[in-house]
Amino acid sequence: MSIVLLDARENNSNIGVIVSTFKKLFEERGEVINYFLLKDMNILPCRSCGACSFISPGKCVIKDDIHEIMRAIAKCNIYIFITPIRFGGFSSQLKKVVDRTMPLGLPLYVVRKGHMLHPMRYGHKFILAVGITEEKYSGQEENFSNLVGRNAVNMQASHRTLVLESTDDKENIENRISDLIRGVN
Amino acid sequence: MKRLVIFNGSPRKNGTSYSFSHTIKKLAEDSGNAAEIVHIIDYFDGKKDIDSLIHIISKSDILGLVTPLYVDTLPYPVIWFLEKLSCDLRTELNGKDFFAVSQCGLPDVTLFKPLLGSCRIFAESVSMNWLGGLGYGGGAIINGELMENLGSKGRKITSGFKIALEDILNEKMISSRAQDLLTIRIPKILLWPISAFLNYKSKSMARKSGVKDLSSKVYLE
Repeated sequence: MSIVLLDARENNSNIGVIVSTFKKLFEERGEVINYFLLKDMNILPCRSCGACSFISPGKCVIKDDIHEIMRAIAKCNIYIFITPIRFGGFSSQLKKVVDRTMPLGLPLYVVRKGHMLHPMRYGHKFILAVGITEEKYSGQEENFSNLVGRNAVNMQASHRTLVLESTDDKENIENRISDLIRGVN
Repeated sequence: MKRLVIFNGSPRKNGTSYSFSHTIKKLAEDSGNAAEIVHIIDYFDGKKDIDSLIHIISKSDILGLVTPLYVDTLPYPVIWFLEKLSCDLRTELNGKDFFAVSQCGLPDVTLFKPLLGSCRIFAESVSMNWLGGLGYGGGAIINGELMENLGSKGRKITSGFKIALEDILNEKMISSRAQDLLTIRIPKILLWPISAFLNYKSKSMARKSGVKDLSSKVYLE
């Protein structure tokens, strides 16, 4: 099994504990994580040029670090992302990658359960999304869950979402991540 | 007279988000208000400095975001921009009205829910007054064309924006009538023939570009 973990940490967050818990729990299962610390990666924004559809199908023409992540995602079964919840969604640090994963879908359409979707180029993944709340705003957790759920529909993926608080302690984090990954394979 | 600032969230300055911004600006000016379009990508690319927005935002009454939907929510440069505003211009934003309009290529308007939810939470986080938002699912078909060139389709979209703008200028939540005019209703049974047609178009475009295999697994090669 192959796992990709996208770490969208900023400063002063407990994402370090979350990442080490994922690594520890998956290593105990004999699995290795392809880990990416996004703040150290040069990933430019999607310019909506359409080249990844009809010029170089499946490959973005921008030359930056995204290709390293895409090679790992193409092979993975489990796709984990960890992000501070920003305005009820992903932080810009995570979204810089998510926008560039559009070539994972083919520029074709299928209808599944009443939705028009793009068939997936590299098969179906299991998405595990962890959001960390920093401040309290009404509906932010629900919005984050809706967003991950919508990503999963588009990727025709199974998914689980976990929302933690930036003040959660190590023991709580470990217990909740252990619950999150139970039965995921 | 009210002053609107309309932020175009697209990396393309002449795409459908710009076309919508242009129409909203014109409608605002036609009813005796002032409006200005600001391209977020200029700030992201460093062509303009965020501090230069202080004056523009300070003198405005209403801020609007018009943006494409990228992978189910706001594009990366737009989230970056809202993070910057939230950090650097919080005082200037306090108490202003805020609305959002988004567009994508798929007709299901429920797709816009996470994006509009994020806009609402952004407004709350910087103490702005959230006036609601709209979604349009035919953005790819419009492909940057101005509403005045789109015949009855353009007139219908413009009518939706007009209703929304009247509400916004009166500091009211955007009414559902505006969204009704923007919603493209396609019976689910037609999704299959539409998909087949779009697949035919995609394959034709690929052939014209000299592409033989749209499904190639380039990252496994």
